[in-house]
Amino acid sequence: MEALSFKSDAAKPIAGKSAATVSPKEVRPPSVILPLQFIITGLLALFAAVGCLLARPDLLATYHYNQHVIAVTHLVVLGWICSVIMGAVYQLVPVALETKLHSERLANWQFAFHVVGFAGMVWAFSIWDLKQVGHFGSVLAIGVGLFVYNIGRTLLRVPKWNVSATAVAAALGWISLSILTGLFISAGKCTYDSATVLPPTTPVGALVHGLRSIASFVGRFDAISAMHAHAHLGSVGFFLMLIVGVSYKLVSMFTLSEVQNPRRAIWSIALLNIGLAGVFITILVGSPWKFAFALVIIAALVTYGWELAAILRARNRRKLDWSIKYFLTAIALLVVFSAAALILSWPGLPLTTLTGQLENVYGFLGLLGVVTFAILGMLNKIIPFLVWFRSYGREIGRKQVPAMTDLYSTRLQAAGYWSFLAGFIVVGVAILFSNETGVRTGCALLAAGLVFFTMNVASILTHLTRPQLKPLASIQPEKRTL
Amino acid sequence: MSCDRIDDATVLEVLRQVIDPELGCNVVDLGLIYSIAISGRKIDVVMTLTTPGCPMHEALCQGVRNALLGLDNVDEAEVQLVWEPAWDPSMMSAAGRTATGVEI
Repeated sequence: MEALSFKSDAAKPIAGKSAATVSPKEVRPPSVILPLQFIITGLLALFAAVGCLLARPDLLATYHYNQHVIAVTHLVVLGWICSVIMGAVYQLVPVALETKLHSERLANWQFAFHVVGFAGMVWAFSIWDLKQVGHFGSVLAIGVGLFVYNIGRTLLRVPKWNVSATAVAAALGWISLSILTGLFISAGKCTYDSATVLPPTTPVGALVHGLRSIASFVGRFDAISAMHAHAHLGSVGFFLMLIVGVSYKLVSMFTLSEVQNPRRAIWSIALLNIGLAGVFITILVGSPWKFAFALVIIAALVTYGWELAAILRARNRRKLDWSIKYFLTAIALLVVFSAAALILSWPGLPLTTLTGQLENVYGFLGLLGVVTFAILGMLNKIIPFLVWFRSYGREIGRKQVPAMTDLYSTRLQAAGYWSFLAGFIVVGVAILFSNETGVRTGCALLAAGLVFFTMNVASILTHLTRPQLKPLASIQPEKRTL
Repeated sequence: MSCDRIDDATVLEVLRQVIDPELGCNVVDLGLIYSIAISGRKIDVVMTLTTPGCPMHEALCQGVRNALLGLDNVDEAEVQLVWEPAWDPSMMSAAGRTATGVEI
Protein backbone atom coordinates (compact mmCIF):
# COMPACT_ATOMS: atom_id res chain seq x y z
CA MET A 1 0.00 0.00 0.00
CA GLU A 2 1.28 3.45 -0.76
CA ALA A 3 0.09 6.64 0.76
CA LEU A 4 0.66 10.26 -0.08
CA SER A 5 -0.13 13.21 2.14
CA PHE A 6 0.18 16.68 0.73
CA LYS A 7 -1.40 19.99 0.12
CA SER A 8 -0.72 20.82 -3.47
CA ASP A 9 2.57 22.64 -4.04
CA ALA A 10 2.42 24.03 -0.50
CA ALA A 11 2.55 20.45 0.66
CA LYS A 12 2.39 19.78 4.36
CA PRO A 13 1.84 16.30 5.74
CA ILE A 14 -1.10 15.89 8.09
CA ALA A 15 0.11 12.75 9.85
CA GLY A 16 -0.70 12.85 13.52
CA LYS A 17 -3.53 15.35 13.10
CA SER A 18 -6.90 14.32 14.40
CA ALA A 19 -9.37 13.97 11.59
CA ALA A 20 -12.72 15.60 12.31
CA THR A 21 -14.84 13.85 9.77
CA VAL A 22 -18.36 14.42 8.64
CA SER A 23 -20.59 12.41 6.42
CA PRO A 24 -22.07 14.29 3.47
CA LYS A 25 -25.45 12.82 4.41
CA GLU A 26 -25.44 14.85 7.64
CA VAL A 27 -25.37 18.13 5.73
CA ARG A 28 -27.84 18.15 2.91
CA PRO A 29 -29.64 21.04 1.26
CA PRO A 30 -33.29 20.46 0.37
CA SER A 31 -34.45 19.85 -3.21
CA VAL A 32 -33.63 22.81 -5.45
CA ILE A 33 -37.25 23.05 -6.55
CA LEU A 34 -38.30 24.16 -3.06
CA PRO A 35 -36.26 27.39 -2.90
CA LEU A 36 -36.69 28.01 -6.65
CA GLN A 37 -40.49 28.10 -6.37
CA PHE A 38 -40.25 30.71 -3.61
CA ILE A 39 -37.69 32.74 -5.59
CA ILE A 40 -39.65 32.72 -8.86
CA THR A 41 -42.83 33.70 -6.97
CA GLY A 42 -40.87 36.54 -5.40
CA LEU A 43 -39.59 37.81 -8.74
CA LEU A 44 -43.10 37.76 -10.21
CA ALA A 45 -44.37 39.73 -7.21
CA LEU A 46 -41.59 42.31 -7.63
CA PHE A 47 -42.46 42.75 -11.30
CA ALA A 48 -46.12 43.18 -10.33
CA ALA A 49 -45.21 45.75 -7.66
CA VAL A 50 -43.00 47.80 -10.00
CA GLY A 51 -45.75 47.56 -12.64
CA CYS A 52 -48.28 48.95 -10.12
CA LEU A 53 -45.96 51.86 -9.33
CA LEU A 54 -45.42 52.55 -13.03
CA ALA A 55 -49.19 52.69 -13.50
CA ARG A 56 -49.84 54.66 -10.29
CA PRO A 57 -46.78 56.81 -9.45
CA ASP A 58 -48.98 58.92 -7.20
CA LEU A 59 -48.86 56.07 -4.67
CA LEU A 60 -45.30 57.03 -3.78
CA ALA A 61 -45.62 60.73 -4.57
CA THR A 62 -48.28 61.22 -1.91
CA TYR A 63 -48.64 60.29 1.76
CA HIS A 64 -48.58 56.55 2.34
CA TYR A 65 -51.59 55.75 4.51
CA ASN A 66 -54.07 54.60 1.89
CA GLN A 67 -55.34 51.22 0.76
CA HIS A 68 -53.39 50.98 -2.49
CA VAL A 69 -50.07 51.90 -0.92
CA ILE A 70 -50.67 49.32 1.79
CA ALA A 71 -51.59 46.73 -0.87
CA VAL A 72 -48.42 47.40 -2.90
CA THR A 73 -46.32 47.46 0.28
CA HIS A 74 -47.60 44.01 1.21
CA LEU A 75 -46.98 42.84 -2.35
CA VAL A 76 -43.35 43.91 -1.94
CA VAL A 77 -42.93 42.79 1.67
CA LEU A 78 -44.75 39.46 1.53
CA GLY A 79 -44.75 38.66 -2.19
CA TRP A 80 -41.22 39.70 -3.05
CA ILE A 81 -39.09 39.87 0.08
CA CYS A 82 -40.66 37.21 2.30
CA SER A 83 -40.98 34.74 -0.59
CA VAL A 84 -37.33 35.04 -1.55
CA ILE A 85 -36.00 35.18 2.00
CA MET A 86 -38.03 32.17 3.12
CA GLY A 87 -36.95 30.15 0.07
CA ALA A 88 -33.35 31.16 0.67
CA VAL A 89 -33.56 30.31 4.36
CA TYR A 90 -34.75 26.78 3.51
CA GLN A 91 -31.73 26.44 1.24
CA LEU A 92 -29.05 28.32 3.15
CA VAL A 93 -29.71 27.55 6.79
CA PRO A 94 -29.06 23.82 6.49
CA VAL A 95 -25.81 24.25 4.56
CA ALA A 96 -24.51 27.34 6.34
CA LEU A 97 -25.23 25.89 9.76
CA GLU A 98 -24.09 22.38 8.83
CA THR A 99 -27.30 20.51 9.37
CA LYS A 100 -30.33 19.45 7.32
CA LEU A 101 -33.83 20.84 7.00
CA HIS A 102 -36.28 19.34 9.49
CA SER A 103 -39.05 18.77 6.92
CA GLU A 104 -39.22 19.54 3.22
CA ARG A 105 -42.89 18.52 3.16
CA LEU A 106 -43.78 21.20 5.72
CA ALA A 107 -41.86 23.72 3.63
CA ASN A 108 -43.94 22.84 0.57
CA TRP A 109 -47.13 23.23 2.58
CA GLN A 110 -45.90 26.59 3.77
CA PHE A 111 -45.39 27.66 0.18
CA ALA A 112 -49.05 26.94 -0.59
CA PHE A 113 -50.27 28.85 2.50
CA HIS A 114 -47.87 31.68 1.76
CA VAL A 115 -48.95 32.22 -1.85
CA VAL A 116 -52.67 32.03 -1.08
CA GLY A 117 -52.21 34.19 2.01
CA PHE A 118 -50.20 37.03 0.52
CA ALA A 119 -52.08 37.15 -2.80
CA GLY A 120 -55.39 37.27 -0.93
CA MET A 121 -54.11 39.93 1.45
CA VAL A 122 -52.92 42.17 -1.38
CA TRP A 123 -56.30 41.84 -3.10
CA ALA A 124 -58.19 42.47 0.17
CA PHE A 125 -56.08 45.53 0.98
CA SER A 126 -56.64 46.92 -2.51
CA ILE A 127 -60.43 46.80 -2.00
CA TRP A 128 -60.01 47.71 1.70
CA ASP A 129 -61.87 44.70 3.03
CA LEU A 130 -60.21 44.27 6.41
CA LYS A 131 -62.20 41.16 7.26
CA GLN A 132 -60.76 39.43 4.20
CA VAL A 133 -57.34 40.77 5.14
CA GLY A 134 -57.80 38.99 8.47
CA HIS A 135 -58.90 35.78 6.77
CA PHE A 136 -56.06 35.69 4.25
CA GLY A 137 -53.68 36.97 6.92
CA SER A 138 -54.63 33.94 9.01
CA VAL A 139 -53.80 31.67 6.06
CA LEU A 140 -50.45 33.42 5.74
CA ALA A 141 -49.94 33.11 9.51
CA ILE A 142 -50.44 29.33 9.33
CA GLY A 143 -47.68 29.27 6.71
CA VAL A 144 -45.41 31.43 8.85
CA GLY A 145 -46.13 29.12 11.80
CA LEU A 146 -44.98 26.15 9.70
CA PHE A 147 -41.89 28.09 8.62
CA VAL A 148 -40.99 29.04 12.21
CA TYR A 149 -41.55 25.48 13.44
CA ASN A 150 -39.56 23.95 10.57
CA ILE A 151 -36.58 26.26 10.84
CA GLY A 152 -36.77 26.18 14.65
CA ARG A 153 -36.52 22.38 14.61
CA THR A 154 -33.68 22.67 12.09
CA LEU A 155 -31.83 25.04 14.43
CA LEU A 156 -32.13 22.49 17.25
CA ARG A 157 -29.92 20.19 15.18
CA VAL A 158 -27.17 22.73 14.59
CA PRO A 159 -23.94 21.10 15.78
CA LYS A 160 -22.01 24.30 16.40
CA TRP A 161 -24.10 27.27 17.51
CA ASN A 162 -22.76 30.53 16.11
CA VAL A 163 -23.69 34.14 15.43
CA SER A 164 -25.65 33.26 12.26
CA ALA A 165 -27.74 30.70 14.16
CA THR A 166 -28.46 33.30 16.85
CA ALA A 167 -29.63 35.78 14.23
CA VAL A 168 -31.86 33.21 12.51
CA ALA A 169 -33.41 32.26 15.86
CA ALA A 170 -34.06 35.93 16.70
CA ALA A 171 -35.55 36.52 13.23
CA LEU A 172 -38.01 33.67 13.79
CA GLY A 173 -39.20 35.37 16.97
CA TRP A 174 -39.60 38.77 15.31
CA ILE A 175 -41.48 37.44 12.24
CA SER A 176 -43.89 35.65 14.57
CA LEU A 177 -44.49 38.86 16.51
CA SER A 178 -44.83 40.88 13.31
CA ILE A 179 -47.48 38.54 11.92
CA LEU A 180 -49.31 38.57 15.24
CA THR A 181 -49.37 42.37 15.43
CA GLY A 182 -50.51 42.53 11.79
CA LEU A 183 -53.44 40.22 12.58
CA PHE A 184 -54.25 42.27 15.68
CA ILE A 185 -54.26 45.48 13.64
CA SER A 186 -56.62 44.02 11.06
CA ALA A 187 -58.82 42.63 13.87
CA GLY A 188 -58.88 46.12 15.36
CA LYS A 189 -60.31 47.57 12.17
CA CYS A 190 -63.25 45.16 11.95
CA THR A 191 -66.66 45.35 13.58
CA TYR A 192 -68.19 42.47 15.51
CA ASP A 193 -71.95 42.90 15.29
CA SER A 194 -72.49 39.14 15.55
CA ALA A 195 -71.03 39.21 19.08
CA THR A 196 -74.43 40.38 20.33
CA VAL A 197 -76.15 37.22 19.07
CA LEU A 198 -73.37 34.64 19.45
CA PRO A 199 -72.81 33.46 23.03
CA PRO A 200 -69.11 33.21 24.00
CA THR A 201 -69.66 29.60 25.09
CA THR A 202 -69.85 28.38 21.45
CA PRO A 203 -66.60 27.96 19.47
CA VAL A 204 -67.53 30.63 16.89
CA GLY A 205 -68.85 32.89 19.59
CA ALA A 206 -65.66 32.52 21.60
CA LEU A 207 -63.65 33.47 18.50
CA VAL A 208 -65.82 36.53 17.77
CA HIS A 209 -65.74 37.71 21.39
CA GLY A 210 -61.99 37.11 21.52
CA LEU A 211 -61.47 39.16 18.35
CA ARG A 212 -63.67 41.92 19.75
CA SER A 213 -61.51 42.02 22.90
CA ILE A 214 -58.39 42.23 20.73
CA ALA A 215 -60.00 45.01 18.69
CA SER A 216 -60.80 46.88 21.89
CA PHE A 217 -57.17 46.49 23.06
CA VAL A 218 -55.72 47.58 19.70
CA GLY A 219 -58.06 50.58 19.68
CA ARG A 220 -56.02 52.07 22.54
CA PHE A 221 -53.15 52.73 20.16
CA ASP A 222 -52.87 55.23 17.35
CA ALA A 223 -53.55 53.37 14.06
CA ILE A 224 -50.54 54.75 12.16
CA SER A 225 -48.21 54.16 15.11
CA ALA A 226 -49.41 50.55 15.34
CA MET A 227 -48.85 50.10 11.60
CA HIS A 228 -45.32 51.57 11.84
CA ALA A 229 -44.48 49.38 14.86
CA HIS A 230 -45.71 46.29 12.95
CA ALA A 231 -43.66 47.30 9.89
CA HIS A 232 -40.47 47.66 11.95
CA LEU A 233 -40.90 44.23 13.51
CA GLY A 234 -40.95 42.65 10.07
CA SER A 235 -38.42 44.80 8.25
CA VAL A 236 -35.81 45.17 10.99
CA GLY A 237 -36.56 42.04 13.00
CA PHE A 238 -36.87 39.60 10.14
CA PHE A 239 -35.27 41.10 7.03
CA LEU A 240 -32.40 43.11 8.50
CA MET A 241 -31.69 40.54 11.22
CA LEU A 242 -31.27 37.81 8.59
CA ILE A 243 -29.22 40.03 6.29
CA VAL A 244 -26.83 40.87 9.12
CA GLY A 245 -26.66 37.39 10.64
CA VAL A 246 -26.45 35.31 7.48
CA SER A 247 -24.01 37.66 5.75
CA TYR A 248 -21.39 36.91 8.40
CA LYS A 249 -21.33 33.41 6.94
CA LEU A 250 -22.02 34.13 3.28
CA VAL A 251 -19.72 37.12 2.72
CA SER A 252 -16.93 35.17 4.42
CA MET A 253 -17.62 32.17 2.22
CA PHE A 254 -17.81 34.09 -1.06
CA THR A 255 -14.69 36.18 -0.44
CA LEU A 256 -12.64 33.41 1.21
CA SER A 257 -12.44 35.18 4.52
CA GLU A 258 -13.79 34.57 8.02
CA VAL A 259 -15.38 36.41 10.90
CA GLN A 260 -12.57 38.40 12.49
CA ASN A 261 -14.09 39.10 15.87
CA PRO A 262 -16.94 36.77 16.90
CA ARG A 263 -17.65 38.86 20.02
CA ARG A 264 -18.15 41.97 17.88
CA ALA A 265 -20.48 40.00 15.59
CA ILE A 266 -22.56 38.79 18.55
CA TRP A 267 -22.76 42.36 19.89
CA SER A 268 -24.20 43.55 16.60
CA ILE A 269 -27.01 40.97 16.86
CA ALA A 270 -27.61 41.67 20.55
CA LEU A 271 -27.84 45.43 20.00
CA LEU A 272 -30.15 44.94 17.03
CA ASN A 273 -32.49 42.89 19.23
CA ILE A 274 -32.40 45.34 22.14
CA GLY A 275 -32.89 48.33 19.85
CA LEU A 276 -35.78 46.75 17.99
CA ALA A 277 -37.60 45.75 21.19
CA GLY A 278 -37.33 49.36 22.35
CA VAL A 279 -38.26 50.84 18.98
CA PHE A 280 -41.34 48.63 18.73
CA ILE A 281 -42.70 49.68 22.13
CA THR A 282 -41.78 53.36 21.83
CA ILE A 283 -43.29 53.68 18.32
CA LEU A 284 -46.44 51.90 19.48
CA VAL A 285 -47.00 54.18 22.47
CA GLY A 286 -45.64 57.30 20.76
CA SER A 287 -42.80 57.75 23.25
CA PRO A 288 -39.96 60.22 22.57
CA TRP A 289 -37.59 57.45 23.72
CA LYS A 290 -37.82 55.95 20.22
CA PHE A 291 -34.91 58.20 19.25
CA ALA A 292 -32.71 56.56 21.91
CA PHE A 293 -33.63 53.07 20.72
CA ALA A 294 -33.08 54.10 17.10
CA LEU A 295 -29.56 55.01 18.23
CA VAL A 296 -29.16 51.51 19.70
CA ILE A 297 -30.10 49.99 16.32
CA ILE A 298 -27.65 52.32 14.60
CA ALA A 299 -24.97 51.24 17.10
CA ALA A 300 -25.76 47.64 16.06
CA LEU A 301 -25.36 48.54 12.38
CA VAL A 302 -22.10 50.40 13.02
CA THR A 303 -20.77 47.33 14.86
CA TYR A 304 -21.92 45.18 11.97
CA GLY A 305 -20.28 47.48 9.42
CA TRP A 306 -17.07 47.42 11.45
CA GLU A 307 -16.99 43.61 11.45
CA LEU A 308 -17.98 43.39 7.79
CA ALA A 309 -15.14 45.75 6.87
CA ALA A 310 -12.74 43.58 8.87
CA ILE A 311 -13.99 40.45 7.07
CA LEU A 312 -13.51 42.14 3.69
CA ARG A 313 -10.05 43.46 4.59
CA ALA A 314 -8.99 39.91 5.49
CA ARG A 315 -10.44 38.38 2.34
CA ASN A 316 -8.24 36.24 0.15
CA ARG A 317 -10.29 36.70 -2.99
CA ARG A 318 -9.43 40.27 -3.83
CA LYS A 319 -11.78 40.80 -6.75
CA LEU A 320 -15.35 41.47 -5.66
CA ASP A 321 -17.93 39.97 -7.99
CA TRP A 322 -21.27 41.59 -8.84
CA SER A 323 -23.19 39.74 -6.18
CA ILE A 324 -20.93 41.20 -3.49
CA LYS A 325 -21.16 44.63 -5.15
CA TYR A 326 -24.96 44.46 -4.98
CA PHE A 327 -24.70 43.44 -1.36
CA LEU A 328 -22.25 46.18 -0.43
CA THR A 329 -24.54 48.72 -2.11
CA ALA A 330 -27.26 47.55 0.27
CA ILE A 331 -24.91 48.10 3.19
CA ALA A 332 -24.00 51.59 1.91
CA LEU A 333 -27.72 52.39 1.68
CA LEU A 334 -28.02 51.41 5.33
CA VAL A 335 -26.11 54.62 6.12
CA VAL A 336 -28.74 56.76 4.36
CA PHE A 337 -31.50 54.62 5.88
CA SER A 338 -30.07 55.18 9.38
CA ALA A 339 -29.89 58.94 8.79
CA ALA A 340 -33.55 58.99 7.70
CA ALA A 341 -34.46 56.88 10.76
CA LEU A 342 -32.77 59.37 13.07
CA ILE A 343 -34.59 62.33 11.52
CA LEU A 344 -37.97 60.59 11.66
CA SER A 345 -37.53 59.44 15.24
CA TRP A 346 -36.56 62.93 16.42
CA PRO A 347 -38.88 63.76 19.38
CA GLY A 348 -41.62 66.17 18.47
CA LEU A 349 -40.98 66.10 14.73
CA PRO A 350 -44.08 67.70 13.18
CA LEU A 351 -45.99 65.78 10.50
CA THR A 352 -45.70 68.04 7.47
CA THR A 353 -45.94 67.21 3.78
CA LEU A 354 -42.14 66.94 3.68
CA THR A 355 -41.88 64.64 6.72
CA GLY A 356 -44.73 62.56 5.28
CA GLN A 357 -42.76 62.16 2.06
CA LEU A 358 -39.61 61.45 4.06
CA GLU A 359 -41.51 58.55 5.64
CA ASN A 360 -42.24 57.28 2.12
CA VAL A 361 -38.56 57.63 1.22
CA TYR A 362 -37.64 55.78 4.43
CA GLY A 363 -39.89 52.84 3.58
CA PHE A 364 -38.79 52.81 -0.07
CA LEU A 365 -35.13 53.04 0.96
CA GLY A 366 -35.48 50.17 3.40
CA LEU A 367 -37.52 47.78 1.26
CA LEU A 368 -36.49 48.45 -2.35
CA GLY A 369 -33.05 49.76 -1.40
CA VAL A 370 -31.36 47.98 1.49
CA VAL A 371 -33.31 44.73 1.46
CA THR A 372 -33.78 44.42 -2.31
CA PHE A 373 -30.13 45.12 -3.17
CA ALA A 374 -29.06 42.59 -0.54
CA ILE A 375 -31.48 40.01 -1.91
CA LEU A 376 -30.54 40.61 -5.56
CA GLY A 377 -26.88 40.25 -4.60
CA MET A 378 -27.50 36.95 -2.86
CA LEU A 379 -29.77 35.72 -5.68
CA ASN A 380 -26.90 36.28 -8.09
CA LYS A 381 -25.20 33.50 -6.13
CA ILE A 382 -28.13 31.37 -5.04
CA ILE A 383 -29.91 30.88 -8.39
CA PRO A 384 -26.80 29.72 -10.30
CA PHE A 385 -25.97 27.46 -7.39
CA LEU A 386 -29.42 25.87 -7.32
CA VAL A 387 -29.47 25.28 -11.06
CA TRP A 388 -25.88 24.07 -11.12
CA PHE A 389 -26.59 21.69 -8.27
CA ARG A 390 -29.66 20.30 -10.00
CA SER A 391 -28.12 19.94 -13.47
CA TYR A 392 -24.51 19.12 -12.72
CA GLY A 393 -24.25 18.03 -9.07
CA ARG A 394 -24.47 14.34 -9.97
CA GLU A 395 -22.22 14.64 -13.02
CA ILE A 396 -19.19 16.12 -11.31
CA GLY A 397 -16.27 13.72 -11.63
CA ARG A 398 -18.08 11.83 -14.40
CA LYS A 399 -18.27 14.53 -17.05
CA GLN A 400 -16.77 17.93 -17.64
CA VAL A 401 -19.17 20.38 -16.01
CA PRO A 402 -19.25 24.17 -16.34
CA ALA A 403 -18.24 26.46 -13.48
CA MET A 404 -21.00 28.52 -11.91
CA THR A 405 -19.74 31.67 -13.62
CA ASP A 406 -20.34 29.96 -16.99
CA LEU A 407 -24.07 29.91 -16.27
CA TYR A 408 -24.66 33.65 -16.36
CA SER A 409 -23.52 36.88 -17.97
CA THR A 410 -21.59 39.37 -15.85
CA ARG A 411 -22.53 42.07 -18.41
CA LEU A 412 -26.21 41.51 -17.66
CA GLN A 413 -25.41 41.60 -13.95
CA ALA A 414 -23.66 44.95 -14.41
CA ALA A 415 -26.45 46.34 -16.61
CA GLY A 416 -29.04 45.23 -14.05
CA TYR A 417 -27.08 46.80 -11.23
CA TRP A 418 -26.66 50.21 -12.85
CA SER A 419 -30.26 50.38 -14.12
CA PHE A 420 -31.66 49.40 -10.77
CA LEU A 421 -29.39 51.80 -8.89
CA ALA A 422 -30.25 54.69 -11.23
CA GLY A 423 -33.97 53.91 -10.94
CA PHE A 424 -33.69 53.68 -7.18
CA ILE A 425 -32.02 57.10 -6.88
CA VAL A 426 -34.49 58.75 -9.28
CA VAL A 427 -37.52 57.32 -7.45
CA GLY A 428 -36.08 58.24 -4.05
CA VAL A 429 -35.53 61.88 -5.01
CA ALA A 430 -38.89 62.06 -6.81
CA ILE A 431 -40.74 60.74 -3.74
CA LEU A 432 -39.15 63.41 -1.55
CA PHE A 433 -40.35 66.15 -3.90
CA SER A 434 -43.75 64.49 -4.62
CA ASN A 435 -42.93 64.33 -8.32
CA GLU A 436 -45.04 61.75 -10.14
CA THR A 437 -43.12 62.00 -13.43
CA GLY A 438 -39.88 61.34 -11.56
CA VAL A 439 -41.40 58.34 -9.79
CA ARG A 440 -42.62 56.91 -13.10
CA THR A 441 -39.26 57.51 -14.83
CA GLY A 442 -37.41 55.91 -11.93
CA CYS A 443 -39.78 52.94 -11.90
CA ALA A 444 -39.14 52.44 -15.63
CA LEU A 445 -35.43 52.22 -14.83
CA LEU A 446 -36.14 49.82 -11.96
CA ALA A 447 -38.17 47.69 -14.37
CA ALA A 448 -35.29 47.75 -16.88
CA GLY A 449 -32.93 46.59 -14.13
CA LEU A 450 -35.31 43.76 -13.31
CA VAL A 451 -35.55 42.78 -16.97
CA PHE A 452 -31.74 42.48 -17.15
CA PHE A 453 -31.76 40.47 -13.95
CA THR A 454 -34.53 38.21 -15.25
CA MET A 455 -32.77 37.69 -18.59
CA ASN A 456 -29.84 36.35 -16.62
CA VAL A 457 -32.12 34.15 -14.53
CA ALA A 458 -33.76 32.80 -17.71
CA SER A 459 -30.34 32.05 -19.19
CA ILE A 460 -29.36 30.22 -16.00
CA LEU A 461 -32.60 28.23 -15.98
CA THR A 462 -31.94 26.92 -19.52
CA HIS A 463 -29.27 24.71 -17.94
CA LEU A 464 -32.10 22.80 -16.23
CA THR A 465 -33.40 21.59 -19.57
CA ARG A 466 -30.24 21.78 -21.67
CA PRO A 467 -27.24 20.96 -19.50
CA GLN A 468 -23.86 21.61 -21.12
CA LEU A 469 -21.84 18.51 -20.41
CA LYS A 470 -18.66 17.38 -22.10
CA PRO A 471 -16.79 14.11 -21.69
CA LEU A 472 -13.83 14.12 -19.33
CA ALA A 473 -10.35 13.74 -20.71
CA SER A 474 -9.38 10.09 -20.62
CA ILE A 475 -6.78 9.58 -17.94
CA GLN A 476 -5.78 6.04 -17.19
CA PRO A 477 -2.88 4.37 -15.40
CA GLU A 478 0.27 4.01 -17.45
CA LYS A 479 1.05 0.56 -18.80
CA ARG A 480 4.11 -0.95 -17.22
CA THR A 481 5.94 -4.08 -18.27
CA LEU A 482 6.73 -6.40 -15.43
CA MET B 1 3.50 -9.30 -19.07
CA SER B 2 2.08 -5.84 -18.45
CA CYS B 3 -0.27 -4.23 -15.93
CA ASP B 4 -1.86 -0.84 -15.40
CA ARG B 5 -0.30 0.69 -12.33
CA ILE B 6 -2.14 3.44 -10.55
CA ASP B 7 0.12 5.99 -8.99
CA ASP B 8 -0.36 9.27 -7.17
CA ALA B 9 0.32 11.31 -10.28
CA THR B 10 -2.49 9.56 -12.14
CA VAL B 11 -4.90 10.07 -9.25
CA LEU B 12 -3.99 13.75 -9.03
CA GLU B 13 -4.44 14.16 -12.74
CA VAL B 14 -7.90 12.62 -12.52
CA LEU B 15 -8.86 14.77 -9.55
CA ARG B 16 -7.79 17.88 -11.47
CA GLN B 17 -10.94 17.28 -13.51
CA VAL B 18 -13.12 17.80 -10.44
CA ILE B 19 -13.80 21.50 -10.10
CA ASP B 20 -15.29 23.54 -7.30
CA PRO B 21 -17.94 25.31 -9.40
CA GLU B 22 -18.13 28.37 -7.16
CA LEU B 23 -14.39 29.05 -7.33
CA GLY B 24 -13.93 27.71 -10.85
CA CYS B 25 -10.83 25.74 -9.90
CA ASN B 26 -10.08 22.06 -9.45
CA VAL B 27 -9.87 20.45 -6.03
CA VAL B 28 -6.17 19.62 -6.35
CA ASP B 29 -5.01 23.15 -7.13
CA LEU B 30 -7.35 24.48 -4.44
CA GLY B 31 -5.40 22.36 -1.96
CA LEU B 32 -8.46 20.44 -0.85
CA ILE B 33 -6.86 17.00 -1.22
CA TYR B 34 -4.96 16.17 1.95
CA SER B 35 -3.86 12.63 1.26
CA ILE B 36 -4.15 9.74 -1.14
CA ALA B 37 -3.63 6.10 -0.23
CA ILE B 38 -3.60 3.45 -2.92
CA SER B 39 -4.06 -0.14 -1.89
CA GLY B 40 -4.43 -2.56 -4.78
CA ARG B 41 -7.70 -1.66 -6.48
CA LYS B 42 -8.82 0.65 -3.70
CA ILE B 43 -8.11 4.36 -3.28
CA ASP B 44 -8.68 6.32 -0.10
CA VAL B 45 -8.70 10.11 -0.31
CA VAL B 46 -8.73 12.47 2.64
CA MET B 47 -9.97 15.90 1.65
CA THR B 48 -11.44 19.09 3.02
CA LEU B 49 -13.52 21.99 1.75
CA THR B 50 -12.87 25.70 1.82
CA THR B 51 -15.44 26.22 4.58
CA PRO B 52 -17.47 23.87 6.80
CA GLY B 53 -20.73 25.38 5.52
CA CYS B 54 -19.77 24.84 1.88
CA PRO B 55 -22.98 24.26 -0.10
CA MET B 56 -21.05 22.05 -2.51
CA HIS B 57 -20.26 19.63 0.28
CA GLU B 58 -22.09 16.60 -1.07
CA ALA B 59 -21.45 17.21 -4.77
CA LEU B 60 -17.70 17.65 -4.37
CA CYS B 61 -17.21 14.54 -2.24
CA GLN B 62 -19.28 12.49 -4.65
CA GLY B 63 -17.46 14.07 -7.59
CA VAL B 64 -14.08 13.00 -6.23
CA ARG B 65 -15.42 9.50 -5.72
CA ASN B 66 -16.90 9.41 -9.24
CA ALA B 67 -13.60 10.52 -10.74
CA LEU B 68 -11.65 7.84 -8.86
CA LEU B 69 -14.10 5.11 -9.85
CA GLY B 70 -13.70 6.20 -13.46
CA LEU B 71 -10.13 4.91 -13.42
CA ASP B 72 -9.46 1.45 -14.81
CA ASN B 73 -8.43 -1.02 -12.14
CA VAL B 74 -10.18 0.89 -9.37
CA ASP B 75 -13.06 -0.96 -7.75
CA GLU B 76 -13.40 0.97 -4.54
CA ALA B 77 -12.94 4.61 -3.62
CA GLU B 78 -13.38 6.09 -0.16
CA VAL B 79 -13.54 9.82 0.43
CA GLN B 80 -13.07 11.05 3.96
CA LEU B 81 -13.98 14.67 4.60
CA VAL B 82 -12.04 16.33 7.41
CA TRP B 83 -12.09 19.82 8.90
CA GLU B 84 -8.77 19.60 10.66
CA PRO B 85 -6.40 20.97 9.70
CA ALA B 86 -8.70 23.74 8.47
CA TRP B 87 -8.19 24.78 4.86
CA ASP B 88 -6.53 28.09 4.20
CA PRO B 89 -5.47 29.75 0.95
CA SER B 90 -1.79 28.99 1.55
CA MET B 91 -2.67 25.41 0.65
CA MET B 92 -3.51 26.42 -2.93
CA SER B 93 -1.08 25.91 -5.75
CA ALA B 94 0.16 28.85 -7.79
CA ALA B 95 -2.17 27.72 -10.58
CA GLY B 96 -5.08 27.66 -8.13
CA ARG B 97 -4.34 31.15 -6.89
CA THR B 98 -4.17 32.46 -10.43
CA ALA B 99 -7.44 30.76 -11.41
CA THR B 100 -9.34 32.11 -8.42
CA GLY B 101 -7.71 35.51 -8.09
CA VAL B 102 -6.65 34.71 -4.56
CA GLU B 103 -3.79 36.67 -3.07
CA ILE B 104 -2.02 35.61 0.09
